[in-house]
Amino acid sequence: MAVAIADMTDKIEQRPRARVDLARLTALVALLAPAVALLGIGLVWPFLKMLAISFQDRFPDPTALTFANYATALTDPYFLRITLRTFSLALVVTLITAVLSYPVAWFLARSNSRWKHLVFLAVISPLMVSIIVRTIGWTIILGNEGMINALLVGLGIVTEPLRLMQSFWSVVVGMVHILIPFMVLSIATVLGKIDPGYAEAAAVLGASPVRNFLKITLPLSVQGIASGSVIVFCLTVGAYVTPVMLGRGQVAVLAVTIHEQMVVLVDWPTGAAVATVLTGGTLIVLLLYGLFLRRHSRR
Amino acid sequence: MNPTQILTGERALKAYVLLILLFLALPILIVVPLAFSNDVSLTFPPHGFSLRWFGNILARREFGSAFLNSAMIACISTAIAMVIGILSAIAFVRFQFPGRETLLLLFMTPLIFPAIVFGAAVALMLSPLGLLRSVWGLTLAHTVLIFPYILRTSLATLFEIDKSLHEAAYTLGANRWQTFRYVILPLLRPGLLAGATFSLIISFDEFTVSMFLVGPGLMTLPLEMYNYSEFSLDPTIAAISTVLLVITSIAILIIEKLVGLGKQFS
Repeated sequence: MAVAIADMTDKIEQRPRARVDLARLTALVALLAPAVALLGIGLVWPFLKMLAISFQDRFPDPTALTFANYATALTDPYFLRITLRTFSLALVVTLITAVLSYPVAWFLARSNSRWKHLVFLAVISPLMVSIIVRTIGWTIILGNEGMINALLVGLGIVTEPLRLMQSFWSVVVGMVHILIPFMVLSIATVLGKIDPGYAEAAAVLGASPVRNFLKITLPLSVQGIASGSVIVFCLTVGAYVTPVMLGRGQVAVLAVTIHEQMVVLVDWPTGAAVATVLTGGTLIVLLLYGLFLRRHSRR
Repeated sequence: MNPTQILTGERALKAYVLLILLFLALPILIVVPLAFSNDVSLTFPPHGFSLRWFGNILARREFGSAFLNSAMIACISTAIAMVIGILSAIAFVRFQFPGRETLLLLFMTPLIFPAIVFGAAVALMLSPLGLLRSVWGLTLAHTVLIFPYILRTSLATLFEIDKSLHEAAYTLGANRWQTFRYVILPLLRPGLLAGATFSLIISFDEFTVSMFLVGPGLMTLPLEMYNYSEFSLDPTIAAISTVLLVITSIAILIIEKLVGLGKQFS
């Protein structure tokens, strides 16, 4: 009897709670549904569509499914060279950006200079300037009639203007310029969270500043470097404007090829396959980052 | 390390930071003097003074209509992304549910998804639907792109709002809607306005994705500028850039006044 009553009160208590839970569930679904719909229609569907087209022999009106587009994208020497160039560009840009950004992030995280806020503003403001404006700025600096050549010729160091544009390295300079803010922010966020006590303790125990940095601060800030590198890498791999405007046709990267295949040659299946390969490469980098994070946090 | 060494180290760091800031600012600021140049090409140093390139912006109708297109798409997609972003931010802040972290990560994917692939994919989807060169296609793509930014600022702002404020409002007899309208929304406003300004800029400047979705009769300003620079590199481009720089500076000031630019990125 007592058990039955307890059981009943349990049920009575449970019922309204279940209704509240249902109400909460409805609210949750209602709140999230628009976002799921937006990303479903605007991101997932297009990507699946692209994936499907990459296996078609022609578009529109396919007659058969085929792996031929992937065979072309992955083995054709032309595409292979461009893939290699794209990923090495991303690697070089990531390394240079990380090295250049670290001291700035250090300054933002550690200095108590009264200019700190202004420096912060100056670092992130370029993010809000149109990429076309910034790239045109670089053509003014690097062009044949540009600032550097005007200086070099004016000072009599060279007689003919140097060809600074249309090269791998001009693209690197342009990309590094665009991506430094992302890297500085990532590293500074992590550096700011490190307890300065660790470094002080090491100094008290007699570690030299160099040793202190290499053994304490750098390992603790690796996560910031890693997340910044992933962002920089992904953005470089997918960049179009800088390689086109500073490379001027001499620096073909996957982004340029994809656009060419799809818009100029109207060969959508091949373009879709190349785009999928690019996405796959990015995904591998992200997975490596995930693995790294897991191993890093375990230590 | 003795005090003089520390001082030298700090000076070296400051000098280095200054150098990087110059590197960041130079390509942006160098555009301005060339906008007032009297030369017919983007030559450095500029010769003479002229305002005719600014006149040329007005004379060429395509820049005006591209500007209007960009502004319209930026406004519509920011408005849509704000509504969707705030709703899902509330879900993330107020509810614990399985897969919450994963879903948040998925919602952030447009941030790192290669722009060129996204643009191509959206074009492939829209083309059979006959929406390829439409304002709607561009708006959809831009909404997806700026959604993570809105979500992130809304999350940051919502987390800061004390939960006890909800309870206080309920206790005083306000219903859900009244609590949202008169308590939460006013507190959200500065953060949301800053997020909106930032999104407007991102949409307005977007290039790579839009490249696949525009066409004759429907251009955005960055695409129109790029096309113009393809066939003539005269200072008109520098003049438009200068105008855009002024607009951007005003936007940065607005965000800085409202919440501080740092909030947008932390």
